[in-house]
Amino acid sequence: MMQVCEDVVLSLELPYRERLSVRRSVFSGGDGPTVGVVSGIHGDELEGLYVCHRLAEWLERLSATHPQGLRGRVELYPAMNPLGLDSLQRFIPVFDVDLNRSFPGNSQGMLPQRIAAAVMRELSGAALVLDIHASNIFLREIPQVRISQEFAPRLMPLAEALNLDVVWVYGAQTVLETTIAHSLNSAGIPCLVVEMGVGMRVTPSFAEQLLTGVLHTWRRLGVLAADVEIAPLDHRPLLADDGNVHYLNAETSGLFIPTVSHWMRVKREQSLGAIVSPFGGEQLSRVRSPVDGVLFTLREYPLVYEGSLMARIMATSERDREIEGSRDQGAENAPQT
Amino acid sequence: MPPSTLLRMTAPLRDAFDIPYHDIGGGDEPHSVAFVGGLHGNELNGVFVLARLASVLRQVAEGRQAGQKLRGRILIIPAVNVLGVNTASRRWPFDGTDINRMFPGYDGGETTQRIAHAVLQCTRYARHRVDIHCSNLEFEELPQVRLYAPEDEERALATLFGLPAVIECPFNTIFSSTIGHAWRACAGSNFVIQAGRAGALQTAVCERLFRALVAFLYRIGVVEGVELAKEEEDVHFFGLKQTMPLISTTAGLFVSRLQVGRWLRGGDLIGYVYDGFSGDVRAEIHAPANGLLSGVRRQPLLCEGDLVARLQTVEEVAAMTDTYLPGQGQ
Repeated sequence: MMQVCEDVVLSLELPYRERLSVRRSVFSGGDGPTVGVVSGIHGDELEGLYVCHRLAEWLERLSATHPQGLRGRVELYPAMNPLGLDSLQRFIPVFDVDLNRSFPGNSQGMLPQRIAAAVMRELSGAALVLDIHASNIFLREIPQVRISQEFAPRLMPLAEALNLDVVWVYGAQTVLETTIAHSLNSAGIPCLVVEMGVGMRVTPSFAEQLLTGVLHTWRRLGVLAADVEIAPLDHRPLLADDGNVHYLNAETSGLFIPTVSHWMRVKREQSLGAIVSPFGGEQLSRVRSPVDGVLFTLREYPLVYEGSLMARIMATSERDREIEGSRDQGAENAPQT
Repeated sequence: MPPSTLLRMTAPLRDAFDIPYHDIGGGDEPHSVAFVGGLHGNELNGVFVLARLASVLRQVAEGRQAGQKLRGRILIIPAVNVLGVNTASRRWPFDGTDINRMFPGYDGGETTQRIAHAVLQCTRYARHRVDIHCSNLEFEELPQVRLYAPEDEERALATLFGLPAVIECPFNTIFSSTIGHAWRACAGSNFVIQAGRAGALQTAVCERLFRALVAFLYRIGVVEGVELAKEEEDVHFFGLKQTMPLISTTAGLFVSRLQVGRWLRGGDLIGYVYDGFSGDVRAEIHAPANGLLSGVRRQPLLCEGDLVARLQTVEEVAAMTDTYLPGQGQ
């Protein structure tokens, strides 16, 4: 018998008449492993909220059709930053603090630290946690997993089987040591960071893709029974790292108008779009792909400053890997979540 | 006893929330006075003072303040923009709308249209209605009563607050979507109070404002047994042509050491405009005429055309109605 309930992980009084509550939905089957899904750490990233809905919907249907199908326990934390989500702010309002730079937190600390500590406490027994991000308002990402080199040996097999399109392993960065993923992984709890879609939007097709991957992974871990039916996996990821990821930063400020689609194969020197000026008819600069590859990040927000990231391309030819491998990408271009 | 609520609404990710209000004294009769604060969530003097007023009046209504009695029914909404208060935001944080530009509202509309509608319905039958503002983050206002196209009765009643200035302001199109304007369609008298600055509490302003609200209630006979301080009798009335906005002709950083509420002579130094990079003085701002300093810019960043200060003059001046609008915080 599956038990479904919603409870509150942390509740704090706000200055005027309201409480801040971090809620979760819990689906309990049996003594099998516990898995968690976390989203909404950044109040402008909504893709994960829809994924949580789809997972909940799937589990509720399972409860009706095949209640023994849930062997373990699923915890969904869709809205880690509920005040930010409800007021369209990426960071925690008033504190102006990035919740994903507040881990592992402190149960006696300020509000952001208390949220972090409460969730770390609840997830301490999980066999796997998914932290779902949706980039930011500027860049659209193809569904990908991002793994720090430090934890790659343990996380790679899990990441590759998540039905996503890219797995990106990056070198360790101090600034990311205060993320939920780093805290969990450091504590021995496998945590996969998913980036997909774009801020302030929901991309349902990406959610379905991830849903399939998550369910397969849960079935393999024993959270779901072996006889639970799941749609087949239909994506295998390309592997990205510092050696094959190329960044396109704007040469001029202006309005960036792409002429290619997200997740397209592109060729070296192919025009990806232009930066134009609204004041005149000319193109201020032409944006060209430096390599043959796949466009896996594309700017969605049209305005750019000099230096604004417009796209990332993963090189797919050996020649490009060799040439670019020796170039210093610089920490400033490394991925942030 | 759970508080009354103007409106209960669900939120996308948080618990359902209320906009609560105090309904003090009296039975079923219409309210003698309705006080509204926090239409803008970062105007905290009003929120705090109305909460304290409610606390005190409740004690009076329950007979716990010796010698004092409540002789009417009073409505107090300390904060309309509850989410704005909790996120330190002037506007409704979700969609960025200004609740005081949504009146008369619409109960089937967007969130802040619904909120405006509920506030209007709740307050429209009160005999006297007071909307309390605390300017904005830029400009500090001397505690004052503002009247827009008032009736004679309102001019007289406005002095009963005992605030240092009662200022008659010209009607303008922005004002047409405010609560003050929506109230004009209802019987009764309406007052807009401006006090201090948004973003934080100014305790001296709060004390002045609190005493003003109590003085008003006493003088209209709704509260008995109050003793009033002498300063509350020093009220000046300024008509439509007795407001002089001082507009900067230079950009830079504006600094003034003056306190609002001072009487200035023509020629008195009000402040300096500095070049923020070189530190040079770009301009000196002097009072163009004798008058009461009713407002001063405190957020120093200045563009050409910004309001740096406002004088209430005894001599009539040519009204500059358009330049009234920036920094009015209403």
